[in-house]
Amino acid sequence: MSLMNAKQYEESLRKLHFNVWMFGKKIENVVDDPIIRPSMNAVAATYEFAHYPEYEDLMTATSHITGKKVNRFCHIHQSTADLVKKSKMGRLLGSLTGCCFQRCVGMDAMNALSMTTYDIDQKYETGYNKRFLKYLEYVQENDLTCDGAMTDPKGDRSKAPHQQDDPDMFMHVVEEREGGIVVRGAKCHQTGAVNSHEIIIMPTISMREEDKDYAISFAIPADSEGITYIMGRQSCDTRKLEKGTMDRGNQFYGGHEALVVFEDVFVPWDRIFMYKEWDFAGQLVEQFASYHRQSYACKAGVGDVLIGAAQTIAEYNGAQKASHVKDKIIEMNHLNETLYCGSIACASEGHKEPSGTYYVNTLLANVCKQNVTRFPFEIARLAQDIAGGLMVTLPSEEDFRSPEVGKWIEKYYKANTDIPTEYRMRILRLIENITLGTAAVGYLTESMHGAGSPQAQRIMISRQVNMNAKKKVAKKLSGIPEDE
Amino acid sequence: MNNIRKIGLKYCGGCAPQYDRVQAVASIKRHLAGRVEFVSYEDRDVEGVLVVAGCPTACVDLTLFEGRPLWVVTSEKDAEGFVEKIKKMENTDGLERGI
Repeated sequence: MSLMNAKQYEESLRKLHFNVWMFGKKIENVVDDPIIRPSMNAVAATYEFAHYPEYEDLMTATSHITGKKVNRFCHIHQSTADLVKKSKMGRLLGSLTGCCFQRCVGMDAMNALSMTTYDIDQKYETGYNKRFLKYLEYVQENDLTCDGAMTDPKGDRSKAPHQQDDPDMFMHVVEEREGGIVVRGAKCHQTGAVNSHEIIIMPTISMREEDKDYAISFAIPADSEGITYIMGRQSCDTRKLEKGTMDRGNQFYGGHEALVVFEDVFVPWDRIFMYKEWDFAGQLVEQFASYHRQSYACKAGVGDVLIGAAQTIAEYNGAQKASHVKDKIIEMNHLNETLYCGSIACASEGHKEPSGTYYVNTLLANVCKQNVTRFPFEIARLAQDIAGGLMVTLPSEEDFRSPEVGKWIEKYYKANTDIPTEYRMRILRLIENITLGTAAVGYLTESMHGAGSPQAQRIMISRQVNMNAKKKVAKKLSGIPEDE
Repeated sequence: MNNIRKIGLKYCGGCAPQYDRVQAVASIKRHLAGRVEFVSYEDRDVEGVLVVAGCPTACVDLTLFEGRPLWVVTSEKDAEGFVEKIKKMENTDGLERGI
């Protein structure tokens, strides 16, 4: 199959039979549900833009298995150039959609598995890597979207998986059968879950031997029997049910997250990539996390949209020449490009692993993500500063269109007289969407906690810096003998 | 008889372009209408390839085009320069490599 386009992707989702719940009801038509649809549009964009000549160089790659052109979201990185293009693709899509486009988690899971399965095989003479590569070929040939699912509910954080009062707090195997295993548990915060064809499960923490039943990784169709999706709420989500579309801010795209419950789900052996090799759980977690921390170049793309919106509202307000406004825009750009710097740096400093896959520099990937836990909040604050308080007191579109009161909104909320009041309202709604609304889920809180919370990166930074080398150069330059 | 040259077109991925590459190509096509037909870079039957990069980094992998005449534009000014270069070429058997 050649690369799918947006329409083909949409049709492929219609063939799946998800068990999805939202607001207490089972969703019968997931693809057309008005709250879910914008997120499907965002994933569809990853398919459609692969066909645009002006984006193709970032959106596609050459498969190292088949030699065919594949969507980069299905590609295993074969060079630092690939890693850099992945970062650039993230920024591109962030700027084109203004939201979380959801497909990166699966790509990062597959790249991590390409390495971990190889390393498990080297130690235990298993056949996971061959099995994984066969699965990868299937994903590439069919241009699938995979949900990379790591985060377990975790229960009592002071207890290991096997110590939990409820054993299902971490996903685990409950039964072995001739054809495969049965698993039970859940995965939280699953980005793009119901826009995915496949779900790839990974452990969420490093493990000890007592936790071996929890050291599992596998991939199954996202609509497998026994899987239930419970959609997460987002700030301002029900605006998507309103008659007009202006108050959504972003007219086209959005993201979603879900709790994914596995009730005794059967997994065939040929889809299992780790089974009780507990000593490799930590490696898989770290490798996935490092790739995923690199992936936050997407926030630089969303930042491009927010900065553009801030400049636009400044112009619409007639405030663009004020020196403090100009300086705030400069600061936003400085912070935004610094985010991008981190992603490009960890990619450029990547290296080849024994499996052949290229892996990011993990110290720089963690620095990248640590910045992402902070800078979007400041960029958002500056955007709100420039936008003004009207952003959060603006009447509804319905009032704006009202024959009785619309004229007052038109009159009193016009600023620059060359600009229609509606445009001023629209750009304010976009800033609201990214900093407070549905897109703030991805731009702010997900920037904080996605791919690991801030402390996780600080631990990794602490582990990976070479303090002995730093002390050595400091002592040398200050005349202190090296061994003192 | 006017021979229309066939030139392959390859864009960079456009992560953070410093100018509108698509508009620049549209302008090139307008100015070279009747002289050049731009086709896919994957077409092997071309006289050369025009690479349109959004910034001086020009991160497109050029090894794909080794041995073939190649031009890389990284700005609107480069795009204008490319148009002038093509217009000045008269009755040549092949196009010179432009990088």
